[in-house]
Order: sequence, then structure tokens, then C-alpha cells
Amino acid sequence: MRDSSTYTEAELIAGCVRGDRNAQRLLYERYASVMYPVCVRYMGREDAKDVLQDGFLTVFDKIDTYKGEGSFEGWMRKIFVNACLMRIRKGDALRFTEDITEAPELGGVEEYGVLEQLGTKEILDLIAQLSPGLRSAFNLFVLEGYTHEEVAEALGMTEQSSRSQVSRARSLLQKKIKELYNGKK
Amino acid sequence: MERNEFDQMLRNRLEGVIEPAPDVWEGISRGLARRHRRVILRRFATGAVAAAAGLAVAFLVFRGPQDTRQVTAPIRTAQAVQPVLPQETPDAPVPEVAPIATQIAQFTKHQVTAQASVPKPVVPETTQDIPVQPSAVTTEPAAPVTPQEETTPVTPVSEGPQLTQDDLPADFWQEETPRHKTHTSQLSILSNLTTVASDGDLMYKASPMHSSSQTGTRATSSVEPVSGSPKFFSPLSLGLQVAVPVTDRFTLSSGLTYSYLVSQYDMLVDKVRYDGAYNQLHYVGIPLTMSWHFVQTPSFGFYALAGGAVEKCVAQRYVFASNTLREKVGGLQWSARVGLGAEYWFVPRLGLYFDPSLVYFFDNQQPLSIRTQQPLQARFEVGLRFKL
Repeated sequence: MRDSSTYTEAELIAGCVRGDRNAQRLLYERYASVMYPVCVRYMGREDAKDVLQDGFLTVFDKIDTYKGEGSFEGWMRKIFVNACLMRIRKGDALRFTEDITEAPELGGVEEYGVLEQLGTKEILDLIAQLSPGLRSAFNLFVLEGYTHEEVAEALGMTEQSSRSQVSRARSLLQKKIKELYNGKK
Repeated sequence: MERNEFDQMLRNRLEGVIEPAPDVWEGISRGLARRHRRVILRRFATGAVAAAAGLAVAFLVFRGPQDTRQVTAPIRTAQAVQPVLPQETPDAPVPEVAPIATQIAQFTKHQVTAQASVPKPVVPETTQDIPVQPSAVTTEPAAPVTPQEETTPVTPVSEGPQLTQDDLPADFWQEETPRHKTHTSQLSILSNLTTVASDGDLMYKASPMHSSSQTGTRATSSVEPVSGSPKFFSPLSLGLQVAVPVTDRFTLSSGLTYSYLVSQYDMLVDKVRYDGAYNQLHYVGIPLTMSWHFVQTPSFGFYALAGGAVEKCVAQRYVFASNTLREKVGGLQWSARVGLGAEYWFVPRLGLYFDPSLVYFFDNQQPLSIRTQQPLQARFEVGLRFKL
């Protein structure tokens, strides 16, 4: 049996379209560590494992719809983000639509420097500590590059709510980063 | 507020981040197996429904004329009978004779149709529809005719014998033929699902009994299952059977069945290990079942059944890493079965049945499958049944 790294992405995709279990396993091995942090950002570590599994099942189910437009990783990432949002919606965690007054930014040059000194795992965990609603809006806007209009549509809220949630999440995150950094010192 | 420097920094830090993921492949594999099973079931159900619908339509279209048990009493009209009336009473009214329908109705519940609307010449054959004297009745008073017009001497209507109970055939008092006669040969289209209790968690060793090399003619490659957690999909079967009544309550049925078994396990192919490879087995079999009907109503029937089957594996295929390998399998698979059954006839000749039963598969050196791992299985057979 060939090593996982010797298969091209196109070969793996073709194998998965045929339902080849070996190709599916190799694809999973190649992308699990890439998609897992995405799931952690949205779900927290506790639930990320379940969504990782659901996401791959959806990928294998819909892989025949991937037409090669755009990167495959980007296509997969969208599926995982949707899987996370679906899971959050199922838990009714997005029922937070009250507008929050934009929080004052705590960030300064010092905090940005602090950010550089934190590991990605710590940053992911800090994001995961936010409430489901806040981290969903923050992830979509800041890390996935959605506009507020798109965030509002994805989460079923108004644009103003999206702005409020992102602002609030950013403020809380900066505060947590500062606390973590101070605790480390 | 739009994206700011903090956002950009955070994004840069998390761009393309990789973190070892917990191993969820086992769960994914189980999920894929479930979906695969659902796809197979859906195809199977679609095929079964299409086949049943096709057969039902064919049956309804091509079935022969039914015995409606209508009694037809040919009635002679004035033109046909032309009775000779006595000369001395040319103006006298023709004596009233009760239509035969009325007479018969006095004796029986059977439906009677009097064909009085279309005058027909008297044809001897038509009078055989009912064994009564056809000349006994008429539906309307016969018109007076002159003697010159008379060509055939006919007994005057009023003098014809009256219909009595003795004139009716011996079986005339019997009820109509039961709509759901149990003493009828039947044709069944069946499909069955078997419960699989050993899905996923079995450990087994590559023993000779399950080695394909032991059971059949070896192909060019050697295939051996290796220890692991095999998964067995629910076997699917389709069949066609004919049931013949032996006595009032006993029925013997036999026919042809096809079964499809799929397993998934880790295997060595020419000493190379492949995880999660599929093994597909195709069996064709001949069942023989005796049923004892302990409840019989026109619409429902309940019965106990016992029997057995002999099956031959006609094809075996391994699917691994986009490759397939076929192997022949020798020997026969014998099995015994006991169970209960229920049938429901929703039209006189077409019914549904459901036979839950227990099946035991004997150890006949067959390839590894749910039958070798779990010889005793619960089977749920459903199908359509036609009365021939």
C-alpha cells in the first residue's frame, strides 16, 4: 500500500468520490490536523471532536460536488465551519441577539506584543472560552473574513448585532490575553 | 467598527495553524458504513417496490375473467317464443308469469340477471346457463299470433313447469366460492432483512474456517482476514416462491432466493495489509418451508412455519484500495428455520405477508460473514403473495 504522502490531492479526491475507504482514510489523515483547530475555535475542545467527525462525514458525502474551483482546503473549511454553526444552532446557543454596546478596545501596542508571545494553542483556547454566540461572530468576521452582512445572515441576526458581538468578543479576548500574559509573568 | 490591527495580527497567528487532532476515524468509519448501508437499503427497497408494483400491475392486467357466479336466465321474448294461444280466447290476456328472476330470488340470495332487453332467437346453448326450463317464463305478455306464423310448436307459457327448488342444481344453495380460499397455490415475492447483533465489536482470528483459501478455489492472490473489528452489514435477500397446499392447513413452499452479504474487515492481500476492505458474497438458494395455518379468515391468516434452505455462493469479491479481487467459493450453506407468519389479503388474490423467524446457519466451511460469526439470526421476511 502506498504511503499517504505519495497520493496527490486529486487522486485522493477521486478515490473518495468512488467511496474507496482507503482514500477516505488518507484524506482524513491529511486534513484532520488542519480542520481540528477550526472546530476548536468554534466549539471549544470538548465538542470539537464530535464536529470533526461530523464534518468529515459531510465532506465524504458531498465530495462529488467539489468541482475543483478554489482550493480544496478552503472548500473543506467551509464545510467544517457550517458543521460547527449547525451544531451551535442545534444547541440554541445563538439566541443572544440583544445588541451590546460596543465595548471599548483594550488593545494597545503592548497587547499586540503579548499576542506574539502566546502559542496558537493558548490563543485557540482563549477564543474557545468566549460564549458560543460571541465566538461564532468573531470567528466568522475576523478569521474567516466574512462581512458583517454575511455574519448576520449566517447567524440569523442583524448587522448591528453582528458588529456588537464582534466588538464585545474582541474586547473580552484582549482582556483575557492581558490576564494570561500577566499571569505568566 | 471594521477590522483593526489586532484582528490582522490574530489572523496571521492562526493562519494555517495545525494541531494534532484526536483520532475520530473509528467514528467516521462507522458513520460511513451506516450511510453505505442506508444507500444499499434504499436501492434494495426501491427495486423491491418497483418489482412488486410491476408484478401487481401485470397481475391485474393479465388475470383471466373472474367467476362472478351470476345466474343468467335467458328469457324468451314474444318474437322468439311465439306461443300459440288458444283460438277460442284470442282477446284473452296472456296469463301473468312471474319472471324467472323473481322466482329464483325466492329461493336464493344469488344475483339474478334477466336478459330481457334484447330479443334473441332461441338457441339451445343459452338455455344451459341455468338448469331450469327456459320455456317456463317470459318477461312480457306474448303477442297474439296467427297460426300461419307459427313455425315451431311451442308449449304455451302458462303450461310450462314452474320453477321449484328441486329444479336447482345441487350446489345452488351453497355460498359463493370463498374469496380467500386457503386451498390455493400461491406465488410469493419476498425480501428479508436479518438483524445483525455483532456489528463492529467482534474480535476474531484468521482461522482456517474463515480463510477463503480453505473454502474455495484460490485466485491468483491470497486473501486472509486479520485480527481486528470486522463489521457486518445486514444481509439482504430477494426471492420468488411457490406455495402448494398439502392439506387444508398445511402448505409446502419452495422457490429461489438471492442473498447479498457484505462484510468489512482488515485483510492481508499477498501479505500486504489493507484496512477496512470489503468482502461481498452473493448466494443463490432453494428454500423449502412447511407452514401450518392455525388461523384462517378471508382477510387474515396466521401460521407457524419450519423449514430449511440450501444456498450456493455464486460470487465472492474483495474490494480494497480501489482494487477488486474475485474468488470462487466451494461447498453449500445449509440452514434451518422456524418462525411465525401473518398474511393479509387486501384484494381477493393479492396479499402481504410478514414472517418473523429464527434461522440457524450450519457450519459448512463458508467464507467469513455474519453467518459464520452469528449462526443464529432473527430474520424478518416480508413480501407480496398472489393466489394462482
